[in-house]
Amino acid sequence: MTERFQTVGNPLLEDPKMRVRNASVFYADKQAIFDVDLDIGKNQVISMIGPSGCGKSTFLRCLNRMNDTIDICRVEGQLELDGQDINDRKIDVVELRARVGMVFQKPNPFPKSIYENVAYGARIHGLTDNKVQLDDLVEQCLQRCGLWKEVKDRLHEPATGLSGGQQQRLCIARAIAVNPEVILMDEPCSALDPIATATVEELIHELSQNFTICIVTHSMQQAARVSERTAYFHLGKLIEVNDTSKVFTNPEHQLTEEYITGRIG
Amino acid sequence: MTEELKFGGHISRQFDEELDEIRSRVLKMGSLVEEQLEKTLTALREMSPASISGVSKLDRKVNKMEMKIDEECTQILAKRQPAAGDLRLIIATSKSVRDLERAGDEAEKVAHMVKRALENDTSPNLYKGLQDLVEQVEELLHATLDTYARMETRSAVHNMRLDQAVDAEYGRVIFRLVEIMKNDSDSVSDALDVMWAARSLERIGDHCINICENVIYLVEGEDVRHTKFKEIEDQLS
Ligand SMILES: Nc1ncnc2c1ncn2[C@@H]1O[C@H](COP(=O)(O)OP(=O)(O)OP(=O)(O)O)[C@@H](O)[C@H]1O
Ligand SMILES: [Mg+2]
Repeated sequence: MTERFQTVGNPLLEDPKMRVRNASVFYADKQAIFDVDLDIGKNQVISMIGPSGCGKSTFLRCLNRMNDTIDICRVEGQLELDGQDINDRKIDVVELRARVGMVFQKPNPFPKSIYENVAYGARIHGLTDNKVQLDDLVEQCLQRCGLWKEVKDRLHEPATGLSGGQQQRLCIARAIAVNPEVILMDEPCSALDPIATATVEELIHELSQNFTICIVTHSMQQAARVSERTAYFHLGKLIEVNDTSKVFTNPEHQLTEEYITGRIG
Repeated sequence: MTEELKFGGHISRQFDEELDEIRSRVLKMGSLVEEQLEKTLTALREMSPASISGVSKLDRKVNKMEMKIDEECTQILAKRQPAAGDLRLIIATSKSVRDLERAGDEAEKVAHMVKRALENDTSPNLYKGLQDLVEQVEELLHATLDTYARMETRSAVHNMRLDQAVDAEYGRVIFRLVEIMKNDSDSVSDALDVMWAARSLERIGDHCINICENVIYLVEGEDVRHTKFKEIEDQLS
């Protein structure tokens, strides 16, 4: 075995929301993530950057056990949410994914009405079944995502009729409707135009008051704009974690520097 | 600790070229300021104002270059959104050209004052002390441009020592002038002129040091302005 790679910067925090220790991920016998130690701060935005194929999505999926859905995928190591082992047998995965919600690269609204997209999760997670409360919840979530004004007169029309940016904000509204603690976002803006991107970024900023957010992004500027901490991955290794302001002005690791200045892709 | 920064090697070769272009322009701009000092030095050596022609023209060129380089820096910020070392290069460069421009202004002042002194047959006693000072400042400016070209910190620290020597020489020039003024009140007006020239030269030294600090920031990512020389030395060693 080769010597364990040491991440530079400050991967660890005091009293984190999520704690990852010694995490490795394999697809069959090919290792995709190597011994990652990382803490994710409460009500903070952390961004994950790195070249394509470096393992950002794979790592993100560890955080709510989405990798369980991939047959050949095996996750090792310790992953905790509020100090609780998320791989513990006693953990209900459905409940875990409600606490650690996810927003994907391509907006993927259910083929249902705008209203139902938001109400659905709350209903199945047993948050409420009461019409008035649901109406209220739907309005609130759409408000928070800056979508209410745009859709309030067409709540019962199909969500698929919304623009890409609106759909993505709807997916975020859907994610927050079940009152998660952590929101994972995998390139949430890559299919959006600059205006829709700015709206989503603004939303991320607002949400970070109450939610812990991990965002994977290919846009360095986006990482710089929305996150407090930045984690740089390279070939499955977590190379550097530092305050975003440091990473983008004076990164510690040569590889980070080469990546963010456009010398390696 | 890094001691030299390497630029180039971007995936976008065009970006490499733009950065190279900016850096060589800064050096060109600096060489124009050097040329101003050189002309002044020749005039002092030959005790003739002849060489000090065209200094104002040089300074106008320096001003134009400042604007040009600034514009290019702005373009790069807008188009490339540089990060890390690239970002620091642009910031450090756009600050450094301000210092070069101001050094150019001071150099022009010195040249004109020396020219006036030589034309008015001011007693050589008064201005001969300037020669060493001009030489030292020119050496410092040259070394500073070299530091910027090579983007390394060791020579930046060395230059700070050169500047201390410039300050000491400036002190001696002033002391001598004061002595002369004390003994010869008729010389006061001319002596004050020379004093201003000396003061401008000392200011050029300060601008050089600002540039060196920018290079240290660029290479190390550390802001060393308003830090005592000794601390900088310790920090970087
Ligand atoms: N379902 C899968 N089966 C097998 N290998 C996979 C699977 N998903 C990812 N991999 C491999 O794991 C590595 C990391 O992939 P991952 O998708 O996590 O990268 P990424 O950093 O998210 O890339 P991108 O920026 O392109 O989205 C890659 O080598 C990839 O080929
Ligand atoms: Mg991915």
